[in-house]
Amino acid sequence: MAGSGLAPLRDRPDVLLRVEGLVVEFPVGRRDVVHAVSGISFDVAEGETLGIVGESGCGKSTVARAIIRLNDIREGSVMFEGKNLAVLKGEELRKSRPDLQMIFQDPISSLNPRRKVRDVISEGLKVWGSQMGAWSEGRIDELMHAVGVDPKFGDRRPHQFSGGQCQRIGIARALAMDPKVLICDEPVSALDVSVQAQVLNLLEDMKVRYGLTLLFISHDLAVVKNVSDRIIVMYLGKACEIGAADELYEHPRHPYTRALLASIPEPAPTVEVSEGDIEGELPSPINPPKGCRFNTRCPHADEICYEDEPQMEAVGGDHFVACHHPVAVSIDV
Amino acid sequence: MAEPLLTVRDLSVRFPTTRGVVQAVNGVEFDLEEGQTIGIVGESGSGKSVTAKTLMNLLPRTAEIDGEVMFDGRDVRELAAKGEDHFWGVQMTMVFQDPMTSLNPVKRCGEQIAETLRYHMGHDKKKAISESIDLLERVGIPEPAKRVAQYPHELSGGLRQRVVIAMALACQPRLLIADEPTTAVDVTVQKLLLDLLDDLRKERRMSMILITHDLGVARGRCDEVAVMYAGRIVERADSHSLFSDSRHPYTDALLRSIPRIDQPSHTRLDPIPGRPPELINPPVQCAYAPRCRFAQRSCLEEIPEVSGVVGMHSFACHYPANTERGEAALQANLDRGETAGGLHLHAAAEGAS
Ligand SMILES: Nc1ncnc2c1ncn2[C@@H]1O[C@H](COP(=O)(O)OP(=O)(O)OP(=O)(O)O)[C@@H](O)[C@H]1O
Ligand SMILES: Nc1ncnc2c1ncn2[C@@H]1O[C@H](COP(=O)(O)OP(=O)(O)O)[C@@H](O)[C@H]1O
Ligand code: SF4
Ligand code: SF4
Ligand SMILES: [Mg+2]
Ligand SMILES: [Mg+2]
Repeated sequence: MAGSGLAPLRDRPDVLLRVEGLVVEFPVGRRDVVHAVSGISFDVAEGETLGIVGESGCGKSTVARAIIRLNDIREGSVMFEGKNLAVLKGEELRKSRPDLQMIFQDPISSLNPRRKVRDVISEGLKVWGSQMGAWSEGRIDELMHAVGVDPKFGDRRPHQFSGGQCQRIGIARALAMDPKVLICDEPVSALDVSVQAQVLNLLEDMKVRYGLTLLFISHDLAVVKNVSDRIIVMYLGKACEIGAADELYEHPRHPYTRALLASIPEPAPTVEVSEGDIEGELPSPINPPKGCRFNTRCPHADEICYEDEPQMEAVGGDHFVACHHPVAVSIDV
Repeated sequence: MAEPLLTVRDLSVRFPTTRGVVQAVNGVEFDLEEGQTIGIVGESGSGKSVTAKTLMNLLPRTAEIDGEVMFDGRDVRELAAKGEDHFWGVQMTMVFQDPMTSLNPVKRCGEQIAETLRYHMGHDKKKAISESIDLLERVGIPEPAKRVAQYPHELSGGLRQRVVIAMALACQPRLLIADEPTTAVDVTVQKLLLDLLDDLRKERRMSMILITHDLGVARGRCDEVAVMYAGRIVERADSHSLFSDSRHPYTDALLRSIPRIDQPSHTRLDPIPGRPPELINPPVQCAYAPRCRFAQRSCLEEIPEVSGVVGMHSFACHYPANTERGEAALQANLDRGETAGGLHLHAAAEGAS
């Protein structure tokens, strides 16, 4: 299985998480296989926020779940603090868990409905207590306060809170573990627009306050740009383009990135609206196209795109694209 | 000026429940002319779908409805009372967020469209099927002759929504109500579906009510836009004025709270503090007052009336944004550090919900 190239990996001492050649597959039926993630490589430096954006089914959640070993990793490595999480077992794997915490899209159903929110938040702490030192009611109060939920409501159950408040509680629960990396899978997609901004600001504040490194998944291009330092655009299990957030939106080079930026209701000024009219349907991940996976819908596809898989290549600055014919952009300095 | 196709006057809907009476829609008024699109935007629970369902005669029997809905000179609520169900299949049809609301999972797509045509238009079977194929082709479904024989679950979400649009358009309605038709699909599919609705509307001089919580969609696709909050239309204007010169503090705040693609990354967002109010026994005050940065004493004593006439830029606010009066109210609150509604303005930026 060809990877999409290691060019975007950085040789920096402050890289905290390094995913290399990640492959995740799900067997379905007798002999079919869903190629959910097929050779993705990226890294995240300490204190950075990496955004992952792409349409439904492209493999965003699968990447996130693989990193914390909720999905089996078929190939590739996930390096975190000198250890390869992909091959850790037993006690060592268990020990790594608190360091990487995750929050989810559906804030209400991701919290245990029968427990008081105070217990929801301290759940992990109690399990991990022996390794993590004492937890205390004072710590829970402090966390609730930090995320903007009044500690006096600590005895209520999750369903007595709004979606936005439940997302805050989910964040407090993750923070209780004192994680180094917080993985956020569509954390604001289910929230009303007026509450979205509250939670996005909260995440930025918590990042600074607790020294977090963030992996932020969203299908909303404006949201992802707002929170991220760097962004990966995914399509059908592959990375198309990686770059610094502002650079990527300013000078998108991959035809698919450009299609996304042209499809949103208020299209980015850097692309033509017509670039958003991509034809056809998303191919099945059971039988992904050979060569470039975008070739069935790409207006620039030619022979080589049906034969060879494009590899990630640097296109100047912190910007990498996997395409045989990256779209030329005028770089105004 | 020609008579509007649809006029809605003082529409109110209440649901008696065990917890009390839910005032879901409250004094809603708007006009819609032939060939025009009005957008209704607002957060979940603001009354968009209840408004739509009232027009479509889809509310449960328990709903208490007041007000007037006229469609081309006919009283829609009277038609409902008389059980004239062809009206809601021919003249006025609706597309929902989830295509499976309208589709029968165990029936082939073609058959479902054909049934609509046979029931409402009296087509024979052969004509109904051939017209179904034409309709599927018109909504951009590849290989329509094959697709008519497929079941809904064999199609992607985007294609299913196209089938639903084909079905809604089968009898050439004069008004299409689309309730969050693209909320469940990806952006590339959303663009194609909205383009399709635009084309069909122009081609048939159809009118459309487009319900969405996405301000960008409303701005790009509607002639006029109405903003709903807690069951009321709080502001209504042509799409350009509404977004470039908003008057209601809620509209203004919404526009400033969404991240924009043209802002640099890590731009600090400006959230709306708090959350929408309960609709059971609301206090007699402006419903937005607890969250409003402009709120003064009178906002807590008197519910603001909608100013202006239907068809003009109208809004319901005592201290409208982007006016001298509003700015003075805001400045007074900033000076005091607090609004009459008890909102702390320095803390407002942090937005505790
Ligand atoms: N447990 C599983 N078994 C089989 N296929 C799976 C499983 N989990 C995910 N997949 C498939 O893997 C692919 C990637 O799924 P994933 O959930 O990662 O997408 P996503 O990018 O997170 O999409 P969304 O935006 O809808 O959340 C999809 O084709 C999905 O159907
Ligand atoms: N059948 C019903 N019984 C009681 N309350 C209802 C009913 N239908 C809707 N409501 C309430 O009416 C309000 C408006 O709902 P709705 O129009 O669906 O909002 P939206 O703007 O999200 O479409 C909500 O508070 C909702 O809970
Ligand atoms: S490699 Fe070819 S098919 Fe793939 S995105 Fe580039 S031009 Fe299009
Ligand atoms: S200024 Fe007063 S009337 Fe206007 S929205 Fe604010 S609270 Fe309501
Ligand atoms: Mg997902
Ligand atoms: Mg609704």
